[in-house]
Amino acid sequence: MSPGWRLIIYLVAAPLIGGLLAGLDRKWTARMQARQGPPLWQPFYDVVKLWKKETIVVRRSQNFYIFFFLLLMIFTGGLFFAGSDLLLVVFALTLAGIFLVLGAYKASSPYSFLGAERELIQMMAYEPMVLLTAVSIYLVTGSFYVHDIVKHPNLLLSPLPGVFLGFLFALEIKFRKSPFDFSCSHHAHQELVRGLTTEFSGKALAMIEVAHWYETVLLLGWVYLFFAAMPLVGVLGTLAVYGFLILTDNTFARLKWLTAVKSAWAVTLALGFGNILVLTLLRY
Amino acid sequence: MAGFKKSPWVIHYDASSCNGCDIETLACLTPVYDAERLGVINTGNPKHADIFLVTGAVNEQSRQVIQNIYHQLPEPKVVVAVGACAASGGIFRDCYNISGGVDTVIPVDVYVPGCAARPEAIIDGILKAVEVLEEKYRRIAAMADSIDQTLIVPATTEDVAEILALQKIAYQSEAEIYGDESVPALQQSLADLKEDFQRMVFLKAVVNGKIIGAVRGYSEGETAHILRLIVHPYFQGRGIGSRLVREIEKVWPAEVRRFEAFTGHRSKRNLDLYGRLGYRPFKEVPFNAAVTWVYMEKSRNES
Repeated sequence: MSPGWRLIIYLVAAPLIGGLLAGLDRKWTARMQARQGPPLWQPFYDVVKLWKKETIVVRRSQNFYIFFFLLLMIFTGGLFFAGSDLLLVVFALTLAGIFLVLGAYKASSPYSFLGAERELIQMMAYEPMVLLTAVSIYLVTGSFYVHDIVKHPNLLLSPLPGVFLGFLFALEIKFRKSPFDFSCSHHAHQELVRGLTTEFSGKALAMIEVAHWYETVLLLGWVYLFFAAMPLVGVLGTLAVYGFLILTDNTFARLKWLTAVKSAWAVTLALGFGNILVLTLLRY
Repeated sequence: MAGFKKSPWVIHYDASSCNGCDIETLACLTPVYDAERLGVINTGNPKHADIFLVTGAVNEQSRQVIQNIYHQLPEPKVVVAVGACAASGGIFRDCYNISGGVDTVIPVDVYVPGCAARPEAIIDGILKAVEVLEEKYRRIAAMADSIDQTLIVPATTEDVAEILALQKIAYQSEAEIYGDESVPALQQSLADLKEDFQRMVFLKAVVNGKIIGAVRGYSEGETAHILRLIVHPYFQGRGIGSRLVREIEKVWPAEVRRFEAFTGHRSKRNLDLYGRLGYRPFKEVPFNAAVTWVYMEKSRNES
């Protein structure tokens, strides 16, 4: 399939899959708590409703940043699914995140301020691991390009088990799931009112939600890279990873931000760096 | 798609009393009742909510909190009063500090009976509220198409809180123009605004019961001073500001020959608006390092 076609399929299918995954998240969460839970399509109902609501702003420019957050998130996913450079994907993803943080800063409310600061701390916590993941994939496959990595004949998971686990840890932070949901939390959990998204309503909140769907698809796509040699195992493995994230979300209480940074960097050092070290030593 | 019907997000506030209804409301979210199966989320953030669920009677401490939360809910919004106290003050109605039910402070759409209200009844109330929400959305959508149905009427002291909230929203754009948060309009307190009501005429622009614009002014001999023309950012650029100014000019008797208004020197939109209405700048007074006030005048026969 040409990159152009893949891009078009991604643009259309990603919000659909991302929204359904969000619905699945709420359903599974409910079942883990012995509740019936909302319908699978609930996230779509929510976004449609938010789109119809009045958009209240503290400053009009705050929603401008959110628009760019969504745009850059779509762009980042586009880069990934068109088979581009993984490093570029990491940088674009960070830029998208920064726009969300800027939007929250712009809203100048103490809750969204603190949420923005904590989001920056979260980025600081997971960014090294995500970069190391890209580097270690390069070490095994000899390429940063997604279209080359997908064609690698062997399962990436077997030489990189440590990096994979470290990446799971980073995902937990990136998805803002418990125990790392301190900048803004999902479902009915509350922290700093609603942290990062406190001052956003109506269409802006809907855009944040849709951006999150694109982000979910992008990050799970990255998880798939670890299993790319065996597509069926890949799809199941990716779903299992998503299930694992939801399970931890429901079994852990929230940690403090300092614990999050320390543990994330410890994991990066032990699992990420350790894995790369072993890999390099085995080569010589 | 039926957005509102399937996704009612609730903010819950307990105004006072015994907390019985408060606990029952939270019980709605437990596995036994699981209100989330109907799409209900207990948000804790008024800006994300559709339904304002209040339990308990209103006392002097919770009055302002209720008003504040109510004004932060984006339209369309619905208020549900849960339990006997929220409906009428209930068993506490004769207490010296109780002003009665929630409807003594904000408009209530749905009343849920009970002492304490049962979770089934509360969920029933939310589903009734969703119907009201849908109806309100239809009305607002129709209103957005016919903004000329905006009513311009005199404001009363009951509107103080809402006008102050609007003023702070509307003046944010000014603060951004000058990079200065010390714009006097942003610093005004509720008590100060109440004092303004003693010596000034206030007009408000109302759509669907919500104030979207306001203007105030006072006369001194032959001159009437027009101040603080505010319109909600959502409704700006649709002629509401001009209508407010034209209406307030009619408020004063014929002895008033001259109207005067002022704005910051870089507030191009305001200068343009007054320019279109026939106001001409006649003096400039420096206010602080960032802002210079431009005074504009117009005599009555010009209009």
